[in-house]
Amino acid sequence: MYHLVIDRWSRGSSPLHQRDPRAKLAALLVFLVAVSTTPPRAQLAFAGYAILLALAALRARLPIPGLAGRAALVLPFSATFALLTWWSGDSLRALALAEKSFLSGMVALLFVATTPLTAWTAALESWRAPRMLILVIQFVYRYLFVIAEQAQRMRWASVCRRGSRKRRWFDSSVAAGLVGVLFARSWERADGIYNAMLARGFRGRFVPVTPAPFRQSDAAFLAVCLAGCLGIRLLL
Amino acid sequence: MHIPDGFLSTPVWTTMDVISAPAIAVVARRAQRETQDHRIPLLGVMGAFVFAAQMVNFPVGLGTSGHLLGGALLAIILGPSAAVLVMTAILALQALIFQDGGVLALGANVFNMALAGVAAGYLPYRLWAERSRSGAIFAAGALSVITSACLALAQLLISGVPMRGSILWASLALFLVSGIIEGAITVAAVGAIGRLNPGWVAGPEPSMSRTAAAVGVAAIVVVVIGTLVASTAPDGIQRLTTQALDSASWSERAFRGVAGLALIAAVCYLGGKLMSRRRSA
Repeated sequence: MYHLVIDRWSRGSSPLHQRDPRAKLAALLVFLVAVSTTPPRAQLAFAGYAILLALAALRARLPIPGLAGRAALVLPFSATFALLTWWSGDSLRALALAEKSFLSGMVALLFVATTPLTAWTAALESWRAPRMLILVIQFVYRYLFVIAEQAQRMRWASVCRRGSRKRRWFDSSVAAGLVGVLFARSWERADGIYNAMLARGFRGRFVPVTPAPFRQSDAAFLAVCLAGCLGIRLLL
Repeated sequence: MHIPDGFLSTPVWTTMDVISAPAIAVVARRAQRETQDHRIPLLGVMGAFVFAAQMVNFPVGLGTSGHLLGGALLAIILGPSAAVLVMTAILALQALIFQDGGVLALGANVFNMALAGVAAGYLPYRLWAERSRSGAIFAAGALSVITSACLALAQLLISGVPMRGSILWASLALFLVSGIIEGAITVAAVGAIGRLNPGWVAGPEPSMSRTAAAVGVAAIVVVVIGTLVASTAPDGIQRLTTQALDSASWSERAFRGVAGLALIAAVCYLGGKLMSRRRSA
């Protein structure tokens, strides 16, 4: 998983990293709901949320520009709609649209940058999310880059051999062949994974992770987040 | 089209979350019952495969390219419930890690792309595969994309994101084109996979009657056409919602909602009846 900076970040040891994933997930949802329900005219509140996030990022010892840059990935999409809104004469709402989507993206990033995938899936599972869905999420994440890298190599190989030129309006032979072979290799890999699981003593049952106890510091963290979000939402 | 957070109004995203969460729970239970042990890693790897397959560019037209979106492909290969689960997992990871779609809007995105998208990809395939296989696969890919996009557009419109008529027409044309591209790519991809091993695209045993499939396809077509028709009069929608909010009493609004739902259900039922009768005739 060395591809993902977020994955490396999530293995830190700051106070924020050590909080219980359930507390962080709850704080994430509280923050998102507060941002989502803030009316466009409360511009001060958006600044407040941004400061709250910056404080949390400092506490987590994460680079704020790096986080903000990644969260800015949502901006092209929201900028399009913000422009449309602005065009129809509602500039305050247009601004709020961009701010809301950016802040929401930023807080989601901060969450995954301080919580490893296994921790947040365990939190989801303790909240009774379907077992099967959690397993599929974990497998997808585990093999995402393995297979994406394979796809990348195959694409390069096909470009080297044939060039990227095409002849007809819709010439799918090369790309479809790539997808087909990629599918075949993925299928074989899944078989291999299952065999490896059997070799390691898998008996048709996944043992759920027992979550660490919810400590007082976790409750305090959640209370601070709750107070911060509610304070900004109601007062500013 | 992944909807980020901040776009949907609070009633819209809460409604979609409330619909999607139990639906996914039911689908997950069903998938757990239907999936043998050795296929559990397969579901995850297929999710990763769809992620990777989205990187492969299919040249379309002059110098442009499209890529596979994969909802219909998953539905055809894994069966509907497993495909819904895999799509949901992909959407959850995209929302949290890749900043593609929002966390609160996950319910809406899951509904559009996993539940409705997979249903719109599976039903036409199930219904027409015996008559014309590539036609059915094309319809599956195209309908799946168009349905998801129209639903997302409708949710944005209901949330009050303003869109002018010309932009709406442009985006509908875009949906149609991307639907056709997805259909063509799905046909090509399923064909290529089938040439390597026909067993892979045979699909699991169907667990649904043809009539149910016909009703489903009719419902999807009604939803898509309804969105198209409603979208041609966006000012009408806006006027209707503001009027309803301003003047109508709570009970009146509730009555209108129920009447609308009943009308949709009746149209779906009749459409399904008609289609299955025509099939048997």
